[in-house]
Amino acid sequence: MANNDKIERNLNGSEAIAEAIFQEMQQDDNTILIGEDVGKCGGVFGASRNCFSEFGENRVRDMPISEMTFTGMGVGMAMSGLRPIIEIMFADFLGVCLEQIYNAIGKIHYMSGGTVKMPIVVKTAAGNIGSAAQHSQCLWGTLAHLPGLKIVVPSSLYDHKGLMASAIRSNDPVIFFEHKELLLKRARSFLSNPIVPKKTYTVPIGKAVKPRIGSDITLVTLSYSVELALESAAEVAKEGIDVEIIDLRSLVPLDIETVLQSVRKTQRLLVVDEDYQSFGVSGEIITRVVENIEPTSLKQIKRHAVPDVPIPAALSLEQVVVPNYESIKNMLIMMAKGS
Amino acid sequence: MNQIERFKAMVEMRFFDEACLEGVPTMEIHGELHTGIGQEAISAGLLGHLKNSDALVSTHRNHYHALIKGVNPYRLMSEIFEKKTGICQGFGGHMHPFSLKQNFSATGIVGQSLPVALGYAYAFKMRKGDSLAIGVIGDGAANHGTFHETLNIAGAWKLPLLVLVENNGYGISVPISKVLATETIAERAKSYSAWGKCVNGDDPDIVSEAVEEAVDHIRSNQGPAILEAVCNRFRGHYEGDTDHYRSKTEKHNMLKGDPINTYSEKLLSLKVLTENEIQNIVQTSKQKMFGLLKRVRGEKMPLPETALNYIFCEKTDG
Ligand SMILES: Cc1ncc(C[n+]2csc(CCOP(=O)(O)OP(=O)(O)O)c2C)c(N)n1
Ligand SMILES: [Mg+2]
Repeated sequence: MANNDKIERNLNGSEAIAEAIFQEMQQDDNTILIGEDVGKCGGVFGASRNCFSEFGENRVRDMPISEMTFTGMGVGMAMSGLRPIIEIMFADFLGVCLEQIYNAIGKIHYMSGGTVKMPIVVKTAAGNIGSAAQHSQCLWGTLAHLPGLKIVVPSSLYDHKGLMASAIRSNDPVIFFEHKELLLKRARSFLSNPIVPKKTYTVPIGKAVKPRIGSDITLVTLSYSVELALESAAEVAKEGIDVEIIDLRSLVPLDIETVLQSVRKTQRLLVVDEDYQSFGVSGEIITRVVENIEPTSLKQIKRHAVPDVPIPAALSLEQVVVPNYESIKNMLIMMAKGS
Repeated sequence: MNQIERFKAMVEMRFFDEACLEGVPTMEIHGELHTGIGQEAISAGLLGHLKNSDALVSTHRNHYHALIKGVNPYRLMSEIFEKKTGICQGFGGHMHPFSLKQNFSATGIVGQSLPVALGYAYAFKMRKGDSLAIGVIGDGAANHGTFHETLNIAGAWKLPLLVLVENNGYGISVPISKVLATETIAERAKSYSAWGKCVNGDDPDIVSEAVEEAVDHIRSNQGPAILEAVCNRFRGHYEGDTDHYRSKTEKHNMLKGDPINTYSEKLLSLKVLTENEIQNIVQTSKQKMFGLLKRVRGEKMPLPETALNYIFCEKTDG
């Protein structure tokens, strides 16, 4: 862990993303950014700051609130040789443009017999920051279910920039799920890698990372939950529970090898996911683990996700349905006791 | 409905939202709150034109519409403050209050109020009553595909639908003039065989007159109407929005035209109200709304063990 006081650039997630977009747009005139409030305002979370003044209205375009159409425009733009980055302000609004995402963006390379490419990034802010049922969803599990879409979900500040750069350079479509909490969180309070080099760099899509090495329990998670997991793991370490944390970084492609290696070692798996529980990320990870590791050599498998309920408005309700530091810690302690 | 009632309604709405603002820095309201401050004259213009059986489907900026539709202010404020006494027991929150009794609902997804209002309009026509549905949207939402789809259906089948556009000039940071193909939104009416008008939304008398015309048109079975009321959003898009995309001068000029001040001056010069009476209304409304705030703050939050209560209405455990 870096000594956080020494961090020179106290960026937040949105600044790291904005820097990647800025640098990639500098390198390729075909890269353009469209979405609501991405222009003069620089994005409601600031994830496109400085881009409008540098690249102008033709390449950084404020769209009317017409997601279905401007996502479809992305398809035509891609076919004409542009590389669009489409911002859908909140993941919750993917619903209004899902048609273009799952029937066009995710399928065209396949339907065209491999002749047409879709170098599109759909970037969107997911996750809970207390905004109730229609503005708190993650939905990465829903999108990961659909073929033909790479699903990238960064956690560390370093990855915010590096994975965004990779997403923009990808010739396949990427749905890039930011987390609102991380967009606003600054380097000095990050627990995972907070250093963002100024120069351009990429982080390969499809490789998980282990922000904490341990031997007792494998905790697989992604996005903001990585930060929560690190905090919980540090706490339970005081009681002698040694947790290994895997940050998946992307769901498609899924780096199951890293998960398997760890679970073979610890024999205990906890999947933490801020998305809805059923038919989603946790079920998929656990299935792949039991498909690959003899059940007799597994001691415990648990999952902790949103119990298939809309996110409630009241804080008192939200706290019991969304995984948090306390609830993750309790899961870990429970698992350690059960061994 | 007379001018005094309209003025009272405006002042009460303003203090209602100012009372809500108190809950933001304290985190009692922990999502992003959208107030209607500056836009009171539009809802006040609806006063007296709606029946309880009429439906109103609103947006993320919904407090005033709920109040005008007759939703109990105490229960509405309780919902905004995420309390058990809220109209949705704290499950919905400020962006999505529902009141079946008042045929009132709202959505946090831009553009999605209109199809829902259309559903009400269809049901009303099917049952041959003379109720109508109002779908409220902002100027930004008028560019959503739902606007076209809804009005086409309503126009084709002459459904009793009023699309009320609160044009405050902005969708968050984007000026509507930058993303609209026409001068006004109301002029799209002719494409849908609808009645359409764009009016000054800062004067509740003007709004009221236009609402009356639109409602007569709709209730006499002539099909849908689009009423666009031009207004200003005094604060940032939501509480926490730095509003850096509007210039100081723009904001300064906007605040000079506070519709509540303008209207009180109008009523003074028309001798409808005296200075004293105006002050009385202001004081009484303030006391009323901040009194509500005090009570609401004393209420309890919903119990954690109820969090999974309303996923389905039927039993699902076998
Ligand atoms: C489908 C969808 N896209 C984007 C948003 C984010 N958003 C919330 S309000 C808003 C602006 C709405 O502008 P307008 O319709 O003019 O209403 P106003 O806020 O000005 O009252 C936006 C873009 C959303 N809630 N839903
Ligand atoms: Mg607006």
